[in-house]
Amino acid sequence: MNTNRLIGVGAFLIAVFVIVPLLIATSGRWDFYYTLTSVALLAIASAGVWLTFYIGRINIGQGAYALAGGYVSAILVTKAGFNFWVTLPLAGLFCAGLAVLIGLPILRLRGVYFAMVTLVLTEVGRLSALALPVTNGAKGITSIPLPGELSIFGLTLIPDFATLQNPKLAFYLAAVFLMVACYAALYRIVNSRLGHLCRSLQQNEELSASIGVNTAYLRVLTYSISSFFGGIAGAMFVAISQSIYPSSFQVADSVNFMLNCFLGGLGYVFGPMLGTLMLYFGWDLLFTTGRYQLLIYSSLLIILMLVLPNGVLSLFERKGGRK
Amino acid sequence: MEQIIANGLYLGAQYALIALGLTLIFSLMNVLNFAHGQMYVLGGFVTYTVVSQFGLPFIVGLLASAAILAAVGAAIEKFLFAPVIKKSKREESTMLLAAGIAFFLDAVILLVFGEKQRGVPKILNGVLNWDFRIIMPYDRILIGVLAIAMIAGFILFMQYTKAGRAMRALAQDRMAAELMGVDVKRYSMIGFALGAMLAGLVGGLLVTITGINLGMGGPTSIKAFMMIMIGGAGVISGAIAGGFILGMMESIGLTLLAAYGDITYLVIFASLMIFLAIRPQGLMGKPWG
Amino acid sequence: MTPILQVRGVTKRFGGLTANNDISFDVAEGEILSVIGPNGAGKSTLFKLIASFLKTTSGEVLFRGNRISNLAPHKVAQMGVVRTFQETTIFRSMTVRENIIVAHHLRSKASLLGFFLGTAQARADETEFGASADDIIEFLGMEAIRDELASNLPQGHLRALGMAIGLATNPTVLLLDEPFAGMNHDETMRMVSLVRRLRDERGVTVLLVEHDMPAVMKISDRIVVINFGEKIAEGTPAEIQSNEKVIEAYLGSEDAAIGM
Ligand SMILES: Nc1ncnc2c1ncn2[C@@H]1O[C@H](COP(=O)(O)OP(=O)(O)O)[C@@H](O)[C@H]1O
Ligand SMILES: [Mg+2]
Repeated sequence: MNTNRLIGVGAFLIAVFVIVPLLIATSGRWDFYYTLTSVALLAIASAGVWLTFYIGRINIGQGAYALAGGYVSAILVTKAGFNFWVTLPLAGLFCAGLAVLIGLPILRLRGVYFAMVTLVLTEVGRLSALALPVTNGAKGITSIPLPGELSIFGLTLIPDFATLQNPKLAFYLAAVFLMVACYAALYRIVNSRLGHLCRSLQQNEELSASIGVNTAYLRVLTYSISSFFGGIAGAMFVAISQSIYPSSFQVADSVNFMLNCFLGGLGYVFGPMLGTLMLYFGWDLLFTTGRYQLLIYSSLLIILMLVLPNGVLSLFERKGGRK
Repeated sequence: MEQIIANGLYLGAQYALIALGLTLIFSLMNVLNFAHGQMYVLGGFVTYTVVSQFGLPFIVGLLASAAILAAVGAAIEKFLFAPVIKKSKREESTMLLAAGIAFFLDAVILLVFGEKQRGVPKILNGVLNWDFRIIMPYDRILIGVLAIAMIAGFILFMQYTKAGRAMRALAQDRMAAELMGVDVKRYSMIGFALGAMLAGLVGGLLVTITGINLGMGGPTSIKAFMMIMIGGAGVISGAIAGGFILGMMESIGLTLLAAYGDITYLVIFASLMIFLAIRPQGLMGKPWG
Repeated sequence: MTPILQVRGVTKRFGGLTANNDISFDVAEGEILSVIGPNGAGKSTLFKLIASFLKTTSGEVLFRGNRISNLAPHKVAQMGVVRTFQETTIFRSMTVRENIIVAHHLRSKASLLGFFLGTAQARADETEFGASADDIIEFLGMEAIRDELASNLPQGHLRALGMAIGLATNPTVLLLDEPFAGMNHDETMRMVSLVRRLRDERGVTVLLVEHDMPAVMKISDRIVVINFGEKIAEGTPAEIQSNEKVIEAYLGSEDAAIGM
């Protein structure tokens, strides 16, 4: 890592962990915490979608994993009395495992076929949540307690959120921390051999196999990492809203995750984060337009596609540029 | 048993019509039309407006749905898809454009027709009761028969008219068709209009039975995707097969699995995944990859 | 000495079309063997069957006495039988060096997790791959285009890059499908001598499909001729040139004149 990059990362960390909370404290706009927390969590789910893009698959199924992760955490907390912080990785792992099962057959599909099947998967996620007994149907799971204390050997790592004066800030910090961790992992993946192999897969699957890459394994591995991200994002979301319903993550969310990636640029690790921020804030800003919100939002999307069919960051694309 | 088959056929005919439009658009321009369900909903609302608001006969409503949706489809192709396809480097772009259009149509429907469930008065009264083996209202039978007639009409159109043959050539091989002198631009637009029109027609048919509401768009698209995956994307016979298979599975599932809650689609999806693992190109699709 | 590669009664049908019909031949270790035949004769299909990119309809391929047909293609590559493509295939949006480095995958000692964590072994691997990639670049004389994006390369360089990718896997048997296509005479002669050196210096057994007859005659130890999916002759270049059947079916036809 060169110095420029270190400075960039340092500046980003200071901005999100120090400057943003200071600004919010001075301006008194506490509601911004909720917005930014949401952005951070959606950015994690989008990072997963981006990673599937990286192996050349258009993934419109992330909503299903966010939903599954949310339910796993909610059920473990409410029915089995687990500590939320324990359920967080479990939700991710559950989704990763699920992704292996689902990925084995569907990752053989490419292009629009894979996109279609993942889109269907999102809808099936919603229908399963409605139908399965353990998810409590349309009523969902509500009144989920706030995350409890996490301590190791008597040392408190994370305090009990219920006792905090300002749980909003705590959630913000937790979500941003999680996001930073996920993007750091994503950055490492992309810049290590795993990422190089993913790129080889994206560009030419047959050649990839002929240089000895176990393409089926690599696809499933990548897809399950991607779904892990979806799962923990969903779980954290549920902890914040303290409730989950079959409609908490649905087709529109899956489509939005894909839009985030695309808008931010598929060639850049931090693209999905940027895309999420832009889309979420764009949508929020349009809130004032009331019933015209969706109309204006979708018109802008369409215009964007007409003007920049290759993504916003294509504006800055060097010849053969990457990362 | 007979009842399940009759329901399956009735559903399957509607589904096949929807899938036909989607697969036509896909085969002509390699576009996955996410907005297909919204087009269906729009068609339903047009018929509703003509019949319930203006008090005109059902057939007029149906024709209006067909005409308006064809126009909408043609415009979307000419002003949105054609330019984006020309400029874009990846197939994702058209997918995102289609998603944007789906959102846009949702917004338009919301503003113009509102959120309420709408329906039209029954177009036929009475129920066919064959020995309690098949019980089916006459209006459903009529709609089912109309749908099947439209499927037949569509097939004849594709087989025997100049436009139909041109579109089939285009779907086979764009380059070759262009060399053969097919006006690619024109027939892409006609194909898109025709696909949208089919979606609108089904909307117009079904508004008489199930009514229509804003929320039906997305799920309809998703069902249509499943059908063309079953049958093989871009293949006409595949779309018809996929439609009837899904209709039949739904009909069977709703009867047999009712005891276990609403898990029909879960079971259908699981079977679809297993099926695709064995046959990724669908029943009638060409092998690829 | 047992042959390194044995093709035994291999047949491949695509629907009604028989692309390969009961083809058998052996390849000795360190040999350069060419497969020739008119367009559509089934040469590429044969290479795909050997590298297990297609499943045989019947028959089998043995590598050092072990069956490799119908295994997963990456497994066959792992064993040392590596195929390059007739259509130039490279990783388009990587540079020449990146292409070659990524193709070193089979040589990694560290696990993917190790690479993710950046363990000592992983870093050692990366250094080794870089050095080896530079070796290959030098071997093939591609220094000038080392950091060029692959999608910007002209045809001749693409062929060389395809070969470099194959080399990076450290193959025991390398299958080259039309490696000289799109090259001018000088480039071809340079590649011919490179393939020779590959065998002489690195001990690689080479199978190749080529239409450039002077090059084939020059480079090959032995030649297998197929026509309409059947093997019609096998022998040294001199034997093939004087084989009646071959002349009739292939060399004498107009196809040969236009070079296909
Ligand atoms: N995947 C395939 N499906 C159907 N037919 C194929 C396929 N691959 C090759 N063929 C047919 O097999 C025959 C041999 O092709 P190929 O091996 O590419 O010939 P060559 O490399 O000798 O020119 C041709 O007639 C070709 O059309
Ligand atoms: Mg060939």
